Amino acid sequence: MAMTTIGIWVAAILTLAIYSFLYRDNPIYKLAEHILVGVSLGYFVGLYWHTTLIPKLWVPLVEGGNVLVLVPLAMGLLMLTRFSLRWSWLSRVPMAFVIGAGAGVSIPTAVDARVYRQIEATMIPLTSLSSVILVVGVAATLVYFLFSVRHEGALGKVATLGTWFLMVGFGATFGYTVMARISLLIGRMQFLLGDWLHLLAD
Amino acid sequence: MPDPRTEREHGFERPEPRRRLKNEAIARLGQVDRRILYLAIAVAVVGILFRPLGLRIPVTDEVRRVYDAIEELPARTPILISFDFGAPSMPELYPMTVAVVRHCFRRDLRVLGLGLLPEGASIGAEVLDSVADEMGRVYGVDYVHLGYKPQIEAAILGMGEDIVRVFPRDFRSQPTAEYPVMDGIENYRDIPLMVGFASGTEMVLWIQYAGARYGQRIVSGAAAVMATVFYPYLDSGQIEGLIPGLRGASEYEQLIGMTGRASRGMDAQSVAHLLIIGCIILGNVGYLASRSRRGEG
Amino acid sequence: MAKRGVPLALCFVMGVLMAVQFFVPHPLSRYVYENVLDWMQIVSVFALAVGVIGLGRIHWRRVVVRRAGWRYSIATLAGLAVMGILGVVGGIEQGTPYAWLFRYVQAPMQSTMMSLLAFFVVSAAYRGFRVRTREAGILLAAAMVVMLGRVPIGEAIHRAIPIASNWVLNVPNTAAMRGITIGIGLGAISTSLRIIFGVERSYLGVE
Repeated sequence: MAMTTIGIWVAAILTLAIYSFLYRDNPIYKLAEHILVGVSLGYFVGLYWHTTLIPKLWVPLVEGGNVLVLVPLAMGLLMLTRFSLRWSWLSRVPMAFVIGAGAGVSIPTAVDARVYRQIEATMIPLTSLSSVILVVGVAATLVYFLFSVRHEGALGKVATLGTWFLMVGFGATFGYTVMARISLLIGRMQFLLGDWLHLLAD
Repeated sequence: MPDPRTEREHGFERPEPRRRLKNEAIARLGQVDRRILYLAIAVAVVGILFRPLGLRIPVTDEVRRVYDAIEELPARTPILISFDFGAPSMPELYPMTVAVVRHCFRRDLRVLGLGLLPEGASIGAEVLDSVADEMGRVYGVDYVHLGYKPQIEAAILGMGEDIVRVFPRDFRSQPTAEYPVMDGIENYRDIPLMVGFASGTEMVLWIQYAGARYGQRIVSGAAAVMATVFYPYLDSGQIEGLIPGLRGASEYEQLIGMTGRASRGMDAQSVAHLLIIGCIILGNVGYLASRSRRGEG
Repeated sequence: MAKRGVPLALCFVMGVLMAVQFFVPHPLSRYVYENVLDWMQIVSVFALAVGVIGLGRIHWRRVVVRRAGWRYSIATLAGLAVMGILGVVGGIEQGTPYAWLFRYVQAPMQSTMMSLLAFFVVSAAYRGFRVRTREAGILLAAAMVVMLGRVPIGEAIHRAIPIASNWVLNVPNTAAMRGITIGIGLGAISTSLRIIFGVERSYLGVE
């Protein structure tokens, strides 16, 4: 309980330290910012240690005798050559491994999830105004992205229509972004006024 | 002293002094100090938190579909919940995770939590343990927190083959396979529904790898900033429901009959939005006035 | 030659192997696939180590040579050491000092940092959102409809506002985002192919 109370006070002081930036950049904000960078990085160390290094490398190798994990271990060690001017090119090997495998797995699934299923969902009966707008909107937006052809004449008009649809999309995104940012502020105010100062009714 | 002939040639004349003063006053609307704006938004939010308006929040179809998807699962069915967001999005996404986890426990579902963004793992542990404590659920029997794995694509794909292989130990560093909650669960085939909470495009990776490749049924909760991106997937049925931002969370709280932080924050959200719309209008009025003044000058 | 040839060849082999695996559900193929997925995760631990060592070195040097702001670097190094050591030694689950530091130090600061954007978005709405063109007008109209329609006060003003907001999100917004999704999908496929066939090599860096 005491640790919770201390924690809430620490969190409140750090919250106010960050908010002090709104007035102007200052040493208290800078200190909080630098602590945050360090702690965030330390967070990764603890997390990777317990969730990956120990269960995926140490336990299989030492307790399970799985020598196959020596392969990623060797590749991982090559990654550390980045700090040597002479040998840093070796770090390209694990990079190539991860990037190549990632590219390979993404192709068939991207075709299905991002292209095929999306086109399929656009092949709908045009029974309402909304369905017509949806189909026209997708086509016009795609025409706008067709950069290999000059946007002139009828194509230009369709591309312009595409930009209008895009503007609606960006406008909706802006509206939601405003909502998201305000939600974050509300959350912090609920913390300061409720959890810390106990001024809000539960 | 400008030459009046030149001004007339350009199609405008010097305005009368009173009109000019009025235009300048309107133009000044576009020059309010940013710190006054900061104060205005802070006062608006804080003020309404103290004096809520109690406005009604209608439930949208996309949020109801998430609720229905969970509601129709029989008791003891496994459900996968992924906390793929970091601390920056916590105020927005935390309330919806609490509401959904509470709903799952109330339905007596077996909850398998995980987080494929680093901080999401700790947030997931906090949500699962606190709601489980409150509802008397037992770790290892009613729920388990699988924790975090790097390389999100590899983790999602790997779980399609063998979940225990991807997570040999849980977030508490214990052997995952030994928990009773994992009985009969090998991969996505044994999990009828997955709920993903995402602050970024992680949800698209779930759709692409778990959905497209393994046919996993997915519903999602998303940070509002990313919500518009998910509507095409909602329309195509690749996700079956969507809880967008704090507003979606407040709808979900309403559906399960709780008044949480999201519901309590919605009035403040309303007033803040009105203030921002006011700012946009004010800024544009000031801009148009200063443009016409430039034209006059 | 080996400096570029070996990584390019490895990238090609891995890319083809993992793409083909999708269509070949053979036990051997599955065995390779599962191992590669495991290995990708293990390698990324070392990628993190590169990041931690790199950032640690930068701040350490700043302290050693007393460069401007070196005192702040001590805070960064202290935060890294304390959180890292507590995590490794004491564990990461709930109830540990690591979880306490995450909950009361890291998470509040990150949340607050992001919430600063609420103030900046007000300032940006006021200063930057000018209706200079027809496109800007459409954008503004859509933004206003969503902003009003997604909060309870929208319905209090007029019943039609949330209906309009839902329509904007589910029809024209869906159309635009679907166009973008398909575009990104095609772009991702072509980029993946370029990587596998060695046309796109930016990940190799410069010599």
